[in-house]
Amino acid sequence: MLQFNEDLVLIDFDAADSTTVIKAMSDRLYARGFVSELYGQQTISREEKHPTGLPTEPFCIAFPHADAEGVNVSSLAVAILRNPVVFKNMADPDEDLLVYIVLLLANKKPEEQIETLRKLAILFGQPEKLSELRSQPTSASAATWLRLELSLSESSESVGEVRKGGLL
Amino acid sequence: MGKLIVVACGAGINTSTIAEDSIRERLKKEGITDVEVKRILMADIDGYIGRMNLIVSMMKIFRTFDVPIVQGMPFLIGSKDEKEVLLNKIIKLIKE
Repeated sequence: MLQFNEDLVLIDFDAADSTTVIKAMSDRLYARGFVSELYGQQTISREEKHPTGLPTEPFCIAFPHADAEGVNVSSLAVAILRNPVVFKNMADPDEDLLVYIVLLLANKKPEEQIETLRKLAILFGQPEKLSELRSQPTSASAATWLRLELSLSESSESVGEVRKGGLL
Repeated sequence: MGKLIVVACGAGINTSTIAEDSIRERLKKEGITDVEVKRILMADIDGYIGRMNLIVSMMKIFRTFDVPIVQGMPFLIGSKDEKEVLLNKIIKLIKE
């Protein structure tokens, strides 16, 4: 199951560049035990070599991720930005894209997330849906909206909390 | 031996999985059973020279191969119609 909840949604996030955004998102995932401490840096390095900016309409988005190795539990983090940051275009690394929404899908096993990936590809192809996501007023409403669009069930306790519970 | 479509992206994870899934689904619908679809890292593509019949790439390729290359970005961000056009093109190329 894909872990996703409002704690993993950054709304009106004010960042100067893509590195800051990826770091903030991977920090959220790390805090819950979903990815390793190095996952953020791995994703930033991966982005430099193989960018993930996507020239969607009516504004661009980015879909960063690193190898499955750093992922403990498949999970999704989302950042909706106050001001756009530059990501390079996946299809053309020489082109700068001004990105307003970043979706970080930390994927442990791609085949297991195939339904989510299908739903994401449908979402990315619909300008009115991307606008709807961008206009969500709170993390909670954005999380609810996305859960519905991606047919995700309510996330269970984070791994960190489960582990703590097990020790008691 | 059947034909091989390779789907190449940087990490070989999320984006190529979407393209691979879309192509497999279409091949199944068409009843084409002798075409294999495999997602690979762009860095590993040389290992498939001579075996692959078609390249679907999620990124720009700065070199040429002796097989057709199709830009796979519409699988990720295209409208329903754009995805359909791309699938038609891939099916036509692999049947040739």
